[in-house]
Amino acid sequence: MTDTKEIKKTKYLNPYVGGVLLGLVLLSANFIAGRGLGASGAIKSVVVTTMTTVAPSSAANSGFVKEFRQSHEGNPMKTWLVFEMLGVLVGGFLSGAVAGRLKLKVEHSPKITSRKRLILALTGGVLFGFGSQLGRGCTSGAALSGMAVLSLGGFITMMAIFGTAFALAYFFRKNWI
Amino acid sequence: MKPLKWLALFIIPLGLVIAAVPPNTAKPYKLTADQLLAEANTRTQYVTPDVVADMIVNKDPSLQLIDVRSQDEFEKYSLSGAINIPLTDLLSEKYTDILNQDVKMNVFYSNGTVTANEAWMLTRQLGYSNIYVLEGGLNFWFDSILNPQEPASTSPDEEFAKYDFRKSAGAVLGGGGAIQAQADQLSAASSPKPAITGAPKKKKVAGGC
Amino acid sequence: MIARLHDKKTITMGPLVTNGIISENLNLFLAFIIGIGFGFVLEQSGFSSSRKLAGIFYGYDTVVLKVFFTGAITCMLGLLFFSLFGWIDLSLVYINPTYLTSAIVGGIIMGAGFIIGGYCPGTSFCGAAIGKLDGLIFVGGLFIGVLIFGLGYKLWEGLYMAKNLGSPKISSVLGLSDGIFALLLILAALAMFWAAEWAEKKFPREEY
Repeated sequence: MTDTKEIKKTKYLNPYVGGVLLGLVLLSANFIAGRGLGASGAIKSVVVTTMTTVAPSSAANSGFVKEFRQSHEGNPMKTWLVFEMLGVLVGGFLSGAVAGRLKLKVEHSPKITSRKRLILALTGGVLFGFGSQLGRGCTSGAALSGMAVLSLGGFITMMAIFGTAFALAYFFRKNWI
Repeated sequence: MKPLKWLALFIIPLGLVIAAVPPNTAKPYKLTADQLLAEANTRTQYVTPDVVADMIVNKDPSLQLIDVRSQDEFEKYSLSGAINIPLTDLLSEKYTDILNQDVKMNVFYSNGTVTANEAWMLTRQLGYSNIYVLEGGLNFWFDSILNPQEPASTSPDEEFAKYDFRKSAGAVLGGGGAIQAQADQLSAASSPKPAITGAPKKKKVAGGC
Repeated sequence: MIARLHDKKTITMGPLVTNGIISENLNLFLAFIIGIGFGFVLEQSGFSSSRKLAGIFYGYDTVVLKVFFTGAITCMLGLLFFSLFGWIDLSLVYINPTYLTSAIVGGIIMGAGFIIGGYCPGTSFCGAAIGKLDGLIFVGGLFIGVLIFGLGYKLWEGLYMAKNLGSPKISSVLGLSDGIFALLLILAALAMFWAAEWAEKKFPREEY
């Protein structure tokens, strides 16, 4: 289903082809492990590890750590999502290497400075990290994987994420366009 | 042809097929006698009273307790939120929707485990999923949840945590009539959690993202 | 939920791990392989570029919408057909629980994070992997955000736990069969793709 003329116009894979491949990756995750993909869960493992290492006593009493421990036995870093996200780093790097996109840079609209872009990225990251814990998963874990298994929560989270981003898009247009 | 048209050409027919297939056949297989025996041997159908008590207390909406004893016995005593499907009526059509579904976790219970296991066996053979049996039945429920034994002072901490949980769960679940439970369920979503200490360890697949 | 606890069946069907067909360590190794596939596809599709991702919200680049929905639909169809052929027991596949309040509030916060930061967690790792410093900083932000959630857990525990609906499927909530819902979703997605291609023509921009 590749139409070479269409693809040559862009440096990226055709989005529908990419989508089908993404779907197959997600399907294999479901078939092998009985679960979807995720990203923020790996960060959660790192945070739990940090909390337990830095302040073991207060971490043991934290409801957050307890809740994590209820569903994960053993070393919090030895979880499915941590390994999957290590794979994402490798896979992303390989893809960038193949396509010649490996380059240290800050990507931003010419209307803002690199510094402002980095501050915005940090702010966005903090919000996304917080929201992903509250919403029990991010775009990949809750929305994408949830939608694939027809989870009601997946659809709700997906609509809330994209709805809010669309609603706020106007106010942040200078950062992107 | 444009990629979008290619995509449409593939997924619309697939969508039509999956929509046209009657939902029943898309449900899990029926079990053969061998598989059922294997499942029974591994005792995977049992849920412990601690897990059930925890789910009742936390008003977990995925729990559906099903009392397979007679109506008389059900009216005398039943677990909070349970519905009554006597074993004799198990295959009646009016209960098919409750039993054959993949949303809730159906837990059969009887006084011991014999009747509940018969119900489990029958429904599993029909290929219904999410069917479980309360381990030890109501008798064990009384012993473990409503009337727990204090562990010996030499026991490990886990035993004490379990005991504390059982005691506090027992206090909350002490009464537990069917009618009260119905009312409870209606307001379940908004009502505050009863104070429970040290919930038992639940195993779930690590989910979320 | 307990379903996954003791489902070591003797049947050879998916999910392979839950059914005890492959070991825990092999599972982690496969997680790594699946991750490589995930990262590779994301990067190849252009998800390592925040300006490309943000394009969906301004109509100049709709790759997010297309990849996201095509991916979800492919997997959904795959699961439904696998289940039809008896290759996978769908009752053992993890379905995220729905806590109504936190799903909405969390989603809103994530949406704000998306438009401000330009990434989502998975894509920020991808960006960081090819040297995008904004992606790397976003990952740092994620860590701080999760840490704040963890440290102040008591403050939002009530919100986090409110309105637990269990793990319902959207199809059963709407009273449709999975198949019919899948077909409707496919048609809706194709309509969106068509509108997206129209928008890209209307607001053309150079690709980032």
